[in-house]
Amino acid sequence: MKCFRLLALLLFFVGAPAFAQQPASGPNPTAQSATEDQLFKQERTIGGRITIPDERAQVLIQPQGRYWRQFHEVYLPWIAGASILLMLIVLVLFYMIAGPTRAAASTGRRIIRFGFVERFTHWMVATSFIILGLTGLNYFFGKRLIMPWLGASAFGAFSEWAKYAHNFFAWPFTLGVLAMVVLWSRDNMPRRLDWAWLKAGGGLTGRTHVHAGRFNAGQKIMFWGVVLGGLAMFLSGLMLLLPLVFVGVNAMQVTNIAHGTIGALFITAILAHIYIGTIGMEGAFDAMGDGSVDLAWARQHHDLWADEVAGSATREEPPPPAEGVRQRL
Amino acid sequence: MARMKFLCDADRCIECNACVTACKNEHDVPWGINRRRVVTINDGKPGERSVSMACMHCTDPPCAAVCPVNCFYQTADAVVLHSKEICIGCGYCFYACPFGAPQFPKLSNFGSRGKMDKCTYCAGGPDVDLSLKEYERYGSNRLAEGKLPLCAEMCSTKALLAGDSDMVADIYKQRVMVRGYGSGAWGWRTAYRETVTI
Amino acid sequence: MLVKRRGSARPDISAQALSGLASAAIDRRSFLARSGLAAAGLSTLGTLTLGAVQRAKAAGSSVSGPEVVIRKNICTHCSVGCTVTAEVVNGVWVGQEPSWESPLNRGTHCCKGASIREIVHGDRRLRYPMKLVGGQWQRISWNDAIDEIAAKTLAIREANGADSVYWLGSAKFTNEAAYLLRKFAAFWGTNSVDHQARICHSTTVAGVANTWGYGAQTNSYNDIRNAKTMIIMGGNPAEAHPVSLQHVLSGKELNKANLIVIDPRFTRTAAHATEYVRLRPGTDIPTIWGMLWHIFQNGWEDKQFIAERVYGMDAVRKEVEKWTPDEVERVTGIPGAQLKHVAELFATQRPSTLIWCMGATQHTVGTANVRAFCILCLATGNVGKPGTGANIFRGHTNVQGATDLGLDVTTLPLYYGLVEGAWKHWARVWDVEYDWLQARFDEVPAIAGRKARTRKENMETPGITSTRWFDAVNLPAEQIDQRTGLKAMMVFGHGGNTVTRIPQAVEGMKKLDLLVVADPHPTTFAALNARQDNTYLLPIATSLEMEGSRTASNRSLQWGEKIVDPVFESKDDYQVMYLLAEKYGFAEGLFKHIKVDNKSPQADDILREINRGGWSTGYCGQSPERLKAHMRNQSKFDLVTLRAPKDTPEVGGDYYGLPWPCWGKPEIRHPGTHILYNTNLHVKDGGSTFRARFGVERGGETLLAENSFSLGSELTDGYPEITFGIMKKLGWDADLTQDERDTITRIGGDNPDTVSWAIDLSGGIQRVCLDHGIMFYGNGKARANAWNLPDPVPVHREPIYTPRADLVGKYPTRPDERQFRIPNIGFSVQKSAIDRNIARDFPIVLTSGRIVEFEGGGEETRSNRWLAELQQDMFIEVNVQDAAERGIKDGQVVWVYGAENGARIKVKALVTERVGRGVAWMPFHFSGWYQGEDMRGFYPKGADPIVLGESANTVTSYGFDPVTGMQEPKATLCQIRTS
Repeated sequence: MKCFRLLALLLFFVGAPAFAQQPASGPNPTAQSATEDQLFKQERTIGGRITIPDERAQVLIQPQGRYWRQFHEVYLPWIAGASILLMLIVLVLFYMIAGPTRAAASTGRRIIRFGFVERFTHWMVATSFIILGLTGLNYFFGKRLIMPWLGASAFGAFSEWAKYAHNFFAWPFTLGVLAMVVLWSRDNMPRRLDWAWLKAGGGLTGRTHVHAGRFNAGQKIMFWGVVLGGLAMFLSGLMLLLPLVFVGVNAMQVTNIAHGTIGALFITAILAHIYIGTIGMEGAFDAMGDGSVDLAWARQHHDLWADEVAGSATREEPPPPAEGVRQRL
Repeated sequence: MARMKFLCDADRCIECNACVTACKNEHDVPWGINRRRVVTINDGKPGERSVSMACMHCTDPPCAAVCPVNCFYQTADAVVLHSKEICIGCGYCFYACPFGAPQFPKLSNFGSRGKMDKCTYCAGGPDVDLSLKEYERYGSNRLAEGKLPLCAEMCSTKALLAGDSDMVADIYKQRVMVRGYGSGAWGWRTAYRETVTI
Repeated sequence: MLVKRRGSARPDISAQALSGLASAAIDRRSFLARSGLAAAGLSTLGTLTLGAVQRAKAAGSSVSGPEVVIRKNICTHCSVGCTVTAEVVNGVWVGQEPSWESPLNRGTHCCKGASIREIVHGDRRLRYPMKLVGGQWQRISWNDAIDEIAAKTLAIREANGADSVYWLGSAKFTNEAAYLLRKFAAFWGTNSVDHQARICHSTTVAGVANTWGYGAQTNSYNDIRNAKTMIIMGGNPAEAHPVSLQHVLSGKELNKANLIVIDPRFTRTAAHATEYVRLRPGTDIPTIWGMLWHIFQNGWEDKQFIAERVYGMDAVRKEVEKWTPDEVERVTGIPGAQLKHVAELFATQRPSTLIWCMGATQHTVGTANVRAFCILCLATGNVGKPGTGANIFRGHTNVQGATDLGLDVTTLPLYYGLVEGAWKHWARVWDVEYDWLQARFDEVPAIAGRKARTRKENMETPGITSTRWFDAVNLPAEQIDQRTGLKAMMVFGHGGNTVTRIPQAVEGMKKLDLLVVADPHPTTFAALNARQDNTYLLPIATSLEMEGSRTASNRSLQWGEKIVDPVFESKDDYQVMYLLAEKYGFAEGLFKHIKVDNKSPQADDILREINRGGWSTGYCGQSPERLKAHMRNQSKFDLVTLRAPKDTPEVGGDYYGLPWPCWGKPEIRHPGTHILYNTNLHVKDGGSTFRARFGVERGGETLLAENSFSLGSELTDGYPEITFGIMKKLGWDADLTQDERDTITRIGGDNPDTVSWAIDLSGGIQRVCLDHGIMFYGNGKARANAWNLPDPVPVHREPIYTPRADLVGKYPTRPDERQFRIPNIGFSVQKSAIDRNIARDFPIVLTSGRIVEFEGGGEETRSNRWLAELQQDMFIEVNVQDAAERGIKDGQVVWVYGAENGARIKVKALVTERVGRGVAWMPFHFSGWYQGEDMRGFYPKGADPIVLGESANTVTSYGFDPVTGMQEPKATLCQIRTS
């Protein structure tokens, strides 16, 4: 009925007499009316003035969301899915072909590799990371993988808690990363021998034993990766947590792209770290487990550090030949 | 099947904000949530036009596509609605929406961003039509009562049109033909990938 | 400045509602939660038969909700007269629906109308009577409040006379309340009774009435649809009257009409114009004369119309000759070619209408502006036909009605004036002794060499205007022509911040012995922190909680039903006046022929009394029964002609709302007058002539129409007002019934021949004349030359505070004079400003206006959460270049300095090209901040509006129209600086 009323109004229009308009000598606001097409030619978004004190409400039309949507719904799942899957495949293949790195024969003497604070920090970051990673992945894989068998309602509830978890664990994660910077950045400063270590492929490809301090070059790369990646995730995450407080919608879209992409790559990289820290290398887990490692293991992987800690005086035999290492590989 | 759309005839819109308060009054929308708003382009200059904007109920709604919990759905009238039971308040729909339609209570409070709220085309939500629960979550359901969105019904100059797509487009076309000018169906190209050609 | 609204917290009133108080308001949500209201009731209201829409599923469901009652009232926020359709359940207003049937708004609203439910059920209302004790608000009972107020006013009256108490009424009153307050003031014994029309369209009423007889919009909003050229000058209806734009823009589109906006500010209305003309504030007369210069030069005037129906156009020609295009451009700033084009459109592409609002009226030359506008219409023959006319958009629901019914210091109800005949007429209607009324008035002694006044003379002397009440408090006694200055203000529904020169008002408030504010909100008076004691707030029902009629701008009367009972402890205006009258001892006389139920006077009975006395203005035919029938049959009236088809039951042939004049007794079913002075219709169909109000001849020239008469008239030339004596000469007295003849004889006493159409209580003269096709008020000429006004032909006068000192010598304001019992020293003020070169320190022209979200003083609308959210800060529009020169950025807080009182206000800058260079604009709806100080703490707790801000009028300045005492807020000077 109401539409009919509008139509009824139009019936008046139809019968309206034609009446030629005179050319105007002054400004004619009707003739100069802004049109959407014309405005889109000038700007990517259309906006103007609004009385409510809310800047985002000033934007009328911003089609850029469509690119973000394309990224978020097509590229990001592919980037994340492909990189994570590829990494898993590589690790599985590596494990199957090469097997874990065997530890040197135990000396029976254990030295402290990571103190309590260090381990606590590590596990705080690790736990947070796993939760963040999984709940993060839920933002784009959840509806594709979990929702079908969990049902909309339960999945909604789960995802809401996942969102809270994601928001909450961002803080211990960030604190942990900052603590790591304090704890480990000195030992992770690049040194000349890192270059040798890298050239030798961390001992995997080189023929000679590679020397390493407390952290080898691979670990240092991982460390700085975690620090930079972590901070990037934190900063982008903070912006997402406080949407539109710092930037507008378009920048939010970019932020989200950055957060998602870095996150996916981060997860991918950490998978490798988890591999080496657990089943990929015998004895490595202990370093973060009870904090101690066998002196032999230490000499095997971090000879310079082992020397430093245990002292040359305690050395009972020369470092094992590099060949030995390779043989065990 | 009908396809419900809004069309704001900017050559009629005078930024009187009736649509805004009609919406607020009808659905008891809290302070800070603006399901509908009026933006004035080229303010103060010849060529100034005001456009009333809310959710356009897009044909291929980006909000629905990016929602991590798939809480959106389209009704038989092509009205885009969402379930506040499922919504997790992540804000993705706001990044995707070209019209700034999704609104969030306490938008900037850490962690407590509430469920998204937006224009329902006065069509309520997934709860039982005209139930109290539906009213409390989504506002009234005028479509179920056989009425159209109140913003359009109360528009002071009948600038904001609501109703079936073809009907609304026809009204606009006829207006433009009679008066000889028209600044276009704002947002239609973005929302529907089509416009009203005259 | 902004206060966040409660989130989900409910107003504590809901507890009251639960406890069973019938009048308590609750919010809809909590109501719904309790009542189990669901679909069935609501869905029955739906009328949409759009196949696409899913039908109400619940319609057949078993849910049974309480019954939804539909009540109709009229939106209070402007004069369009939008019908508000309320859904009421168990006495609670739960929702609003579009009022499709109303031919005026056709379902639509602006933001204020669309959220008007909140005006009633909002939680910022004043809840109970309060009194200021040592600067603190205390709750008191109604009984105590009325007792104390009555005792204090009586004591003041005893000591200082009746004139020392001021009765300020409201444009939000119903017609019945307005009439009642005017009558009340008469019974009290003063003419100092006024309302908002003083500050909005008093100059229009004076100017228009002095031109062609009646002071109102000649046509209607709907009729604008017929226009081919529209000029909107000094008005921004897109914000002030948004729903009117429905008709304006439809007309523009359908007729491909020219829509010309002449305004200092590029408004939302201007954005839809086909031509925008920017003029310097305060140069309306040069603009109009500039147009007429081209019109006369090119012979575009309507010569036949002028010859037949206009007196004194030659005097205008003489004045217009001075306004050559060069001089016009020099004074107004409008490019000559543009003005010529506009003049040509208006004169040649007819019908043309001229629409104006407060941009034209609020000036020291307000009446002259209006006169110039009327003259432009007359010269081009644009009066008295569809699509033409002076379409004056008024500001409140019932500002037209309140003006008509005499909330005016110069007249009794319905423009009878204050002359003896007027008093005697109303004494007859009221059934009181004329002598008793006279005895109520003060005797005024000779003051400072000015002559004394007897009671009778005082009774016939206009009161003090509301624009200057505080001057009548502050000025030394010898300057004030009454027994004493003002000692008490009784303020009903008036914000206070819409009057200029607030710092002076604050001084006045401090000196008053008594201040009573009767309003749904505390208003600015409560927030100015000027008083410690003897101040009362009475919670009054909004107009939506009251029965009664309202007159829209187009003179249509609409009956509003009481939507809900007054919330909290509110009482309506009728009740309060009754309670006071009781204490004053004249309740019996005041309500002699008005039914009072349980101390509550009945609106329909008041209207019947108005009908019995409202002959002069045609308020006699609109009985409550007819008005209610119109509300029932709204859908029967045509959108453009506003007329119902003749065969329609109940309202057949009527114009919607029986727009006044609606002649004769209700029984004769005059249809009302849609378009004034339309001679193409029979008087029984709403046709009429220009009123022969000013005599029959002047200086040898006739004042009666020549060869022009209304359709079907038995007199085919001009004729004077009809009296019983003239009836006899025409032999028409034979048509009178015996009753009518008896009544006339009774009124006339010794000389019944002098009984005119306006005081014939029988309505016989009107009835018989209508039968003969005669407009009994005469068939005169409109006056281009109104010899009784200070400027018979309008002349340009620079604003008191003008940036153009070079023009003041040639165009000075009027000399100092005494008006309305006090001096108007505009000339001295202007001279002093020029001597001090004030424009050097205050170089920016300051003008003011409305924004769409708020209305008037804004207390009501700023307390409405839906509206408050949309405008959270007071602002000033500053031109881009002016801002750049001062280093002002958009959104920055700035100080605005006024040219008087050392006043300054702290507001946000809105840097925009809406205003031209050297001009700034502010909305006038804000209050609650005063010269940089937040006054929120001075409101009674919980009754503070959500949004507060500085009042524009804190920095406005002196200047008054000589005819009506209109203030000058539209052209003053200011300086703007970053804070």
